[in-house]
Amino acid sequence: MPKNTQNIKCTMLKVALGFALLPVFQQSSFAEDVRVNTYIENATFFRKDVGLSKFRNTLQIEAAKSFKSSGSFSNVSLSGTFRLTYDGVYDLNDEDFGEKAGRAISIENVAAGPGATVLFGEGLAFPFTFDTANNPNEGMIVLGENLHATDGGVAMGVPVRPCDTDSRGCINGYLDKDMQELRSQELNDRLDFIRELYFDFDYNLDNGSIISTRLGKQQVIWGRTDLFRVLDVINPVDYSRNNIYDELEDIRIPMWILKTDFRMGATETFDDVNLQLIWNFDRYRPNDLGQCGQPNVIIDAGCFFRGMNSLWDNGGTVANFAGGVAATDFGPGQIGIRQANLPSWSLSNTQVGLKFEGVLGDLGFSLNALSYRSQMPSIRANIQAQNAFTGEVGLWPALIAFDINFPRLTMLGGSMDYYSQGIDTVFRVEASHTSGEEFGNTLREDLYSESDVVRYVLGADKSIFIPFLNDKTAFLFSGQIFGQHILDHEREERLLGTAGIPDWEENWTATLLIKGWWMNNRLSPQILAAHDVRASATAVSLSVEWIVNDNFKFTGGVNFKLGTGARKFDDCRTCNPWSPFTAAFPEHTPGSTLGLQGFEPLGRFQSGPIGMAQKEDELQFTLRYSF
Amino acid sequence: MKKLISGIKLSIAATFVTSALMTTSALAADEVIQQSFFPYAQSTPSFEGLAKGMVIDKSNVAQFKDVIDPAFYVFIEKGFTSIVVGDTTSLALHQSYIDASTKGYSKVTLGEKVGEISGWEAGRPFPAEPSNDDPRAGEKLAWNYKYGYNWGDSAAIYPFYWKYRDMDSAKVERTIKFNFHFLNFKGRVNQQPTPEITPNPSDLFRSIYVQVLAPDDVRNTQLLIHRAADDLKRDNSWLYLGFQRRVRRLATGQVTDAFLGSDLMIEDFEGYNGRISDMNWEYKATRYMLMPFFNHNELTLDTETHSDSDGYQVVAFSGQGGCFPNITWQLRKVYEVEASPVNDSHPLSKRVHFMDAQTFTIPRTISYDRKGTMWKTFTIGQSDPDHHLPANKGSGVSIDDAFSMIDVQANHCTTGQFKGQVDPELTPPSMFSVQHLRATGS
Repeated sequence: MPKNTQNIKCTMLKVALGFALLPVFQQSSFAEDVRVNTYIENATFFRKDVGLSKFRNTLQIEAAKSFKSSGSFSNVSLSGTFRLTYDGVYDLNDEDFGEKAGRAISIENVAAGPGATVLFGEGLAFPFTFDTANNPNEGMIVLGENLHATDGGVAMGVPVRPCDTDSRGCINGYLDKDMQELRSQELNDRLDFIRELYFDFDYNLDNGSIISTRLGKQQVIWGRTDLFRVLDVINPVDYSRNNIYDELEDIRIPMWILKTDFRMGATETFDDVNLQLIWNFDRYRPNDLGQCGQPNVIIDAGCFFRGMNSLWDNGGTVANFAGGVAATDFGPGQIGIRQANLPSWSLSNTQVGLKFEGVLGDLGFSLNALSYRSQMPSIRANIQAQNAFTGEVGLWPALIAFDINFPRLTMLGGSMDYYSQGIDTVFRVEASHTSGEEFGNTLREDLYSESDVVRYVLGADKSIFIPFLNDKTAFLFSGQIFGQHILDHEREERLLGTAGIPDWEENWTATLLIKGWWMNNRLSPQILAAHDVRASATAVSLSVEWIVNDNFKFTGGVNFKLGTGARKFDDCRTCNPWSPFTAAFPEHTPGSTLGLQGFEPLGRFQSGPIGMAQKEDELQFTLRYSF
Repeated sequence: MKKLISGIKLSIAATFVTSALMTTSALAADEVIQQSFFPYAQSTPSFEGLAKGMVIDKSNVAQFKDVIDPAFYVFIEKGFTSIVVGDTTSLALHQSYIDASTKGYSKVTLGEKVGEISGWEAGRPFPAEPSNDDPRAGEKLAWNYKYGYNWGDSAAIYPFYWKYRDMDSAKVERTIKFNFHFLNFKGRVNQQPTPEITPNPSDLFRSIYVQVLAPDDVRNTQLLIHRAADDLKRDNSWLYLGFQRRVRRLATGQVTDAFLGSDLMIEDFEGYNGRISDMNWEYKATRYMLMPFFNHNELTLDTETHSDSDGYQVVAFSGQGGCFPNITWQLRKVYEVEASPVNDSHPLSKRVHFMDAQTFTIPRTISYDRKGTMWKTFTIGQSDPDHHLPANKGSGVSIDDAFSMIDVQANHCTTGQFKGQVDPELTPPSMFSVQHLRATGS
């Protein structure tokens, strides 16, 4: 369906729902209660060995208008949040992140000796190769170079300039930002400067129950844990803003949603019971993982995608490919990422959720169900591609030629919090079971497989006095352990190494927050540490927040990483898609990997977001003026 | 004290003598109730040299040392503030609360442990005069406070301004604007339903809901406290943080932290906002002291902080650092009660409460740190409801109208300016649910 038609249908739906609510407002008369809150903010970050990595200036206006209750309707209001940013890093540090970023690159070619390289475009040419006139050696980096050497693995050239400067590798509709959209992310065709805009109203039933409704562009938050998104998956997230380190409130991407709560209140058994229905009727949006050339590209996925899309569109040189050692020039339409299949707007592509929630004394709980689209991309191979040896176009087993898809998922989960009076500690638990998720899998000819996934977080909060530091105010200690179990995990030992799903079958990430307060809470230092157990990678963030007065707030901090960075995994160089040309030996089954390892492209799934950011230590300063 | 005793009118002295010769149980219920709720019915107390309209400042404060609590005495002595003396007036609580007290008289008994009570349904549980011979007299006074008619069955402070002030420079560091709402689930005597809101599955006694309106960095923070009727059970508390947009259950230990950076703990609200069983209570004395009771409409008010279509203005502050309310003080009958925390890790070693005998509000409290050094001093100014908002007239609620919590160690204070409204429409029971926090949050 053409995008314009989708937009019209989606807009018509939003307008229709707005008209449906009109009677509510016709019954309400204007009250005096109008609120407007505004802040301007500068966030300036410096990255080790890079320099300026953020100079973001934000204007955010929040406004709300309440209306008098009328009849059975109460708490009627209209609220909006509008945000505009300008990130000057693309102008002030344009050699790293702007129009002058990147350079001419050399690609590793160990066939000529350890660490030897060739210029991009001068690799071993297939019969059907590429023309550097269509893909010149400029404005590029080598995939993964910020984190690791190629070290005998695969790598490719990745364009890094804004998409209006260099359109190579810009995937239509997905990670294709031009300079204006990089500088001011909210000024896009999804009107993100309207960050939130929604109507609220309560309809009071005669039995005392209340139907609370919020309709409009909004964030809907499920769950009880910090940092991790086990149940909090209704809105996609913009990781390009500051990786995983910003408050989720600032990086959730609001969607047009109808949220209705049937608030039953207290019953004979429960202190509070509530049933919530969510209908996300907005056109689908994925997480923003960051486009290669931006300062924040979580797990460097955006660079992998851009490099692969450029490879598909233009061809290019791939390090150490032929024979596992020779830099090889592929032609266009042979390997890479062809396109992103973003779900179009249709009723069947909208997303629905249900939550039953209650309080039973010291115990709070929720049961959650959500049918939604994965906000993380899944790359599926087995698309029509050209054989570089014969020129034939067809389906080739385990060929590293992909489309990006966003499969529909079903999530069932729940959460609990419990206050243990005996040890004065609050415990929080959140768990989910998701079906339909897809993972890269080098054992499969499609190079992916589905798996059910169980995720959970167990958290504990306790206030502890440390008298020699502060005998008046306790410190908050908040610890969490996040676990992920891929239930249909597949791995095998092959001739040259392990193959299968690169993600860990079981993994845990632990976080610890210690926060203290002085000067009437106006000075608040904190330590936040996160450790990825399997990746053996740790992130530590030390920060101090100083509320100068009601208007000014200053936050300064340092964010550094420890432990292991890049990790190697089967890179499918030995998948033998174009047998017999790519067979390692006569009996080598087509589409069957031998498990040759490299950092790229799949090692990132073992390193995780912390391991992949090992070279992104930063000093971060933020000044906010509110009025 | 000699001066005080000599100054009290003969009829009052005679009443005490009579009381001392009789056991409480021998008094007729009506007489006990009358004495408890109308202590100034026969006459009002006086003190040598004290007169309406006079100002007590550092030049004459020594003369009145016996009727001023030690913290406030030091403030006046240092010239930080002065006291304007008003008439002692009777602030009669709502008749339905008094009737409930009569109905429940002598039916209420303490259990074996501190915090255990039985037989109470509504009203003042222990209206009889405390006795130094009663080892649990302090605990009974604490129950009288807890089951008092503090804000009636429900009320709202709507809005409520807190200012964080540097006492040395007088700089206002922060101004927080709140709405506070109070609801009694049990012991209700006036607003329907009485005596209890049902269903009440967790057998709650009371709930407090707080919403922060400004400034921006804490706007939309909400706090909900559920207090069980069983005093041995800890509160359940939830906090909605605007920047997280979700509800967090609080460990109740956090009630001793500075609330939103103010000089108050959650436990300090209203004078004392914890469990009876969290403290060891000791009745020290019955005294006649100057207490912050006044008629709101007769004060010179703050014209800047708040304005609305009602024309209502909040109490003004002045004195050192702007930490002292511009109010008048009355000589009133007071019970001095010392509360020391059971938990050794509590940041306080004790609070000394000065409970108003007629209303059982706690207009003055002095808190001491773990080392036993004076740390904070809390003043809650009380207005007669008949001289406040028209809607409060006849409510029989002693209106909390201004507070000042001074950290004498840090030379810092938090002041509070109220628009207290006894209006059940502002405080529906549905407001006191966890889901309300989510529904209201944005």
